[in-house]
Amino acid sequence: MQQSSARVQSPSAPERPATAARRCDTCAVRERAVCAALSPEVLDLYSREGRIQVVPRGKTLVWEGEEASLVANVIEGVLKLSTSTSDGREQIVGVVYPADFIGRPFGERSQHSVTALVDSKVCLFPRTMFDRLAREHPDLEHQLLARALDELDRARRWMLLLGRKSASERVASFLLEMSTRLAGPADDVPLDSFELPLDRQQIADVLGLTIETVSRQLSALRAAGVIELPGRRALLIRARGQLAQLAGD
Amino acid sequence: MTLINASGMRPQQDSPMWPYHPELLARPVPRYTSYPTALEFSPSVGAEAQLEALQRLPRGTGISLYAHIPFCKIICWYCGCNTHRANKPARVENYLEVLQAEIDWLAGRVGGRVRLDRLSFGGGSPNSLEPAGFVRLVGQIISLFGNDRPEISVELDPRTFEGEWRTLLGKVGISRASFGVQTLEPDVQKRVGRIQPLEMIVEGTKALRDSGVRSLNFDLMYGLPGQTTDHLLHTIDQALELGPDRIALFGYAHVPQQIPRQRQIDAHDLPGMEERFRSAALGHARLVAAGYQAVGFDHFAKPDDPMAVAARNGTLRRNFQGFTDDQSEVLLGVGATAITCTPELILQNEKNLGQYRELVAEGLPPATLGVRRTTDDRERGLIIEELLCGRAADLSVMAENGLVELRLQPFLRHGLCTLADNRLQVTSAGLPYARAIASCFDRYRNHPSERFSNAI
Repeated sequence: MQQSSARVQSPSAPERPATAARRCDTCAVRERAVCAALSPEVLDLYSREGRIQVVPRGKTLVWEGEEASLVANVIEGVLKLSTSTSDGREQIVGVVYPADFIGRPFGERSQHSVTALVDSKVCLFPRTMFDRLAREHPDLEHQLLARALDELDRARRWMLLLGRKSASERVASFLLEMSTRLAGPADDVPLDSFELPLDRQQIADVLGLTIETVSRQLSALRAAGVIELPGRRALLIRARGQLAQLAGD
Repeated sequence: MTLINASGMRPQQDSPMWPYHPELLARPVPRYTSYPTALEFSPSVGAEAQLEALQRLPRGTGISLYAHIPFCKIICWYCGCNTHRANKPARVENYLEVLQAEIDWLAGRVGGRVRLDRLSFGGGSPNSLEPAGFVRLVGQIISLFGNDRPEISVELDPRTFEGEWRTLLGKVGISRASFGVQTLEPDVQKRVGRIQPLEMIVEGTKALRDSGVRSLNFDLMYGLPGQTTDHLLHTIDQALELGPDRIALFGYAHVPQQIPRQRQIDAHDLPGMEERFRSAALGHARLVAAGYQAVGFDHFAKPDDPMAVAARNGTLRRNFQGFTDDQSEVLLGVGATAITCTPELILQNEKNLGQYRELVAEGLPPATLGVRRTTDDRERGLIIEELLCGRAADLSVMAENGLVELRLQPFLRHGLCTLADNRLQVTSAGLPYARAIASCFDRYRNHPSERFSNAI
């Protein structure tokens, strides 16, 4: 998979606005990402080392020629985290959304890859810097831990989905997850109506299903009146309770 | 022959009555957490064997994964584990990064093919890691091995069980923990460089229970410098107040020539063999009288604890972590010195942290020591495991072996084991001799040259 994708090269001159902190001020996930816990002074230090990277749809994020392991915050988009199994298959280990923290190192030395499912933007920084900040700023440590626990919960839900759920449960779970995760920063209420960021092939890919199965499951949900599909990508959840039941949680 | 029982005076029916035969305890014997034991590991079995072992795991194999964290904030003088002072955070963080890289490597070889049933963290002290780092480690393993809820257990050092760690286990979904209590006697604690007041254990236990730990083990020790049997019994009584589900009662082995840090311990303060024996016997009696079931020769568990149930059902096993109810045939170890064990092979990862890091960084197999288990090893290993787990061992699988019978004679004569119908079983009086009896089957401990010195 990594081989087939064009690589995003590290820019020779990383983006460095005149006032780094100001870049963070205008960041779309400023209030929700892990860095929300940083005081203005720490944020200033942090933003000097953080680097914004645009990842076009289908591209795999590989930061070449770096000694240090990198981690990232998702600013916008949807990306999949994957690894390859012993028999060369791709194993999806998670899907991340805006404000998510990608705490697993990736890059040349790692078997993990981060691939954009839609045009995405991430903020990269060295993992060691993060660990150092965490050590020096106890409030941040608590935030980081909370973030790591969220990640663990997501990993568990994802493994449950891939390991034990039926095709219909997987599709229902995924729709619910997107409706929660794509909700804007202003409120935490899940969206009842949104544009699916992924096409059916991509949904099939991350859920380990075929495109036919995904289409059949979506049609069945529509026929049962649980969802509506008013446009090619538009989705309307009509019976959230029922969808949750079908998700098998 | 001396009889030693719970009252210290008169034998009673419901307390163990252990006959003291110093001549049968004089020879040092391994703990048999594996057979062949670690003494038989050789550098000729390593990287290549590891690749082969991993490749040969059948699809769907249930595995136990063990991750070694070789750091402690303070190193105790008695400790024989591979552990280092966690004095520089960067050192621990770097190790965690290497460990995660090894896990990536391992998952790249067996991921998708094996089923992760159990996950254990030991050391050292897993709680020398930053809580967030530990959580990321668990998340990584769960993601790569694809089981959302393996049974997770963790060893904890009470002295550094603080801050976020106090509430962490429940949040991570860990239901089993082991607390290194060792001794609660302040004077003995000073002599082994491990200061941990009773309140620390009390508070730690409460925090663990509050965070949802269902199976809690306390490690206790006897035979420490300056430790009398009364000290041990006092520690046991204080520990019992806290209601642990399990207790492991280990005897301290003083081998300063092999473990340099033990040189800090004054050998003059060490109790003699008879005092050690008395401690083991009376400690056993005290725990049994308190309602704990004896499991194997040094573990105790509440009767409804899974380990006690396994002992009653005949499914108790012995592996590198001691006695266990874990039924996995395959144990995969990650981290420096971690041991991997399959029916055919036992392998140990590189011990030296720097060299371990180099192997992992180059994507090479980290095992540098090991032993292939021959059919003979496996047959003997099974007999040893059965004996230590308290089951009758079927000797008919072994070829006629006059030497073994000769070696067993003194134990049989004293009623420490019985042999009928080719089935050998350790009796309750023979419990403290279980390892010595098991060693009669150890081909590597019994070279023909020893035969005569044994017989005399």
